[in-house]
Amino acid sequence: MEVIIKQRINQVLKGDQNAFGEIVELYKDKVFQLCFRMLGNRHEAEDMAQEAFVRAYVNIHRFNIQMKFSTWLYRIATNLCIDRIRKKKPDYFLDAEVAGTEGLNMYSLIADDSALPEDEVESLELQETIQDEILKLPEKYRSVIVLKYIEELSLKEISDILDLPIGTVKTRIHRGREALRKQLSNF
Amino acid sequence: MSCHEDIVDYMHDYLDESITEENKERLREHLHSCAECRSYFHDMKKAIALVQSTARIKAPDDFTARVMASIPKEKKNIGMKR
Repeated sequence: MEVIIKQRINQVLKGDQNAFGEIVELYKDKVFQLCFRMLGNRHEAEDMAQEAFVRAYVNIHRFNIQMKFSTWLYRIATNLCIDRIRKKKPDYFLDAEVAGTEGLNMYSLIADDSALPEDEVESLELQETIQDEILKLPEKYRSVIVLKYIEELSLKEISDILDLPIGTVKTRIHRGREALRKQLSNF
Repeated sequence: MSCHEDIVDYMHDYLDESITEENKERLREHLHSCAECRSYFHDMKKAIALVQSTARIKAPDDFTARVMASIPKEKKNIGMKR
């Protein structure tokens, strides 16, 4: 994967824009998922994920080819989402409401396009509830929990993405887990 | 739970896959005898499983096309080439 990506980056650096389209195709779902779990709103997630790729393209000459590309891309996306969360903090309650109604569109968000059997509706509701609980986490715990348990990244990668010492990442994951335990213990 | 703080630390080390064999044994022994910690550990593992169970989400179909339409066009860079 990394080898292919690095070939594509070299093509982009030589002026081949289509090669960047291939990079977007490979990472779009992961970046979109990261943004959606961080923000809880489909439209915002789309905007932030697109912005992350545009910034990656514009700054591609700054990418250190020795680095893992996904780490760099996730760093851009995570920072954009964190900025977004900080900016909208005063509107928290309003946004929380929007995030809740956003759940009505969950059908269109599911990976499988086929029609859903009745008995899956309940699990959809459960998933919306879990998403709401993730959104209740303070941003510094939310980012580590999403990177660790949804993107399934290692502590080392998370520390590289967030530019934090591994010890800090661990502490935040521990606190995030404690918060989720309390929030989700009734399920 | 305050009397079991070290045990909670072992739980986190276990979940981070960074627990020593010695502490793993201590955790195991303690969980065997303490229902309170057992339930605590169960709830924490359940919370993680619930978070992990959230559906995999896909980007919209037109995502790549929209990104490609938003990136600066090559012709803008021609002037910068030497």
